[in-house]
Amino acid sequence: MNRLNISPVDQDKIKVDVLDNGEGLMVRLVGDIDMEDPSLVLDPLFEKIHQGMVAQKIPFIVADFNGLTFLNSSGIKAVAKWIMKLAMLPPAQKYQIRIAHNKAITWQVTSLPTLTYLVPGAVKIE
Amino acid sequence: MSQSDGYIEIRFGPRWKYISPARVFIQNFIAIALSDQVKADSIAMATSELLENAVKYGTTDDTQCIVQAFTASGTIQASVTNQATAQGAAELEAIFQKIMGGDPLEAYIAQMREAATRSDGKSQLGLARIRYETGAEMKLEVTAGYQVTVAIVVK
Repeated sequence: MNRLNISPVDQDKIKVDVLDNGEGLMVRLVGDIDMEDPSLVLDPLFEKIHQGMVAQKIPFIVADFNGLTFLNSSGIKAVAKWIMKLAMLPPAQKYQIRIAHNKAITWQVTSLPTLTYLVPGAVKIE
Repeated sequence: MSQSDGYIEIRFGPRWKYISPARVFIQNFIAIALSDQVKADSIAMATSELLENAVKYGTTDDTQCIVQAFTASGTIQASVTNQATAQGAAELEAIFQKIMGGDPLEAYIAQMREAATRSDGKSQLGLARIRYETGAEMKLEVTAGYQVTVAIVVK
């Protein structure tokens, strides 16, 4: 479990764990996100993470995509929606999303860096 | 179909569960045909996005996907065909026109920002993603009876 008490998700072909990570958190995604509407799983999860990050003033979260073998564009939409929440926050409440990715997986190399353009300074690729 | 060094044709009833095996099959076909894993991954992603659109918006029990490999040039041509409604075809033409103009990255980011604010369950990101991530030449054909084909060429 983690300091936000967010339960793991294990649904369809995707597993998501939220873990404490030093001063920050980590959300680890493993499997394939290729279902018809991934927002059913991801939107509530990212909303809980976002609310918890802001409420507890957690400075960063690592979004670990290393174990994610596929992400369809509907899944990208869900991640983009989470990132765009950061644009609405006043500076004192902002936190950083650090994306950990696997350079051996082609879509991760081409897709994930584009997320850094959505909200300047909010997302960093590790 | 132009002369290629190998092709596959997949037809299936539009069911979501068949997209994933089709993607893996296409990925393996290209990896073997071209010995190029990066290109295989990119085109598998692209055809998967096109198949998702076809299954979501198709109106009949038939989705067709053709992938051709040209080994000398390392070129792949792929197309996905399905039957649409007049409204569905018009929406697709409008999205296509919108994302094909300007810089591919800027068009993709703009679509991502727009997708994040949509509440209708659609992402409308797939075509912009394909254009940016594969660098493909893309073409849309709509027949008088609203059969739509999206074709891509990746060199």
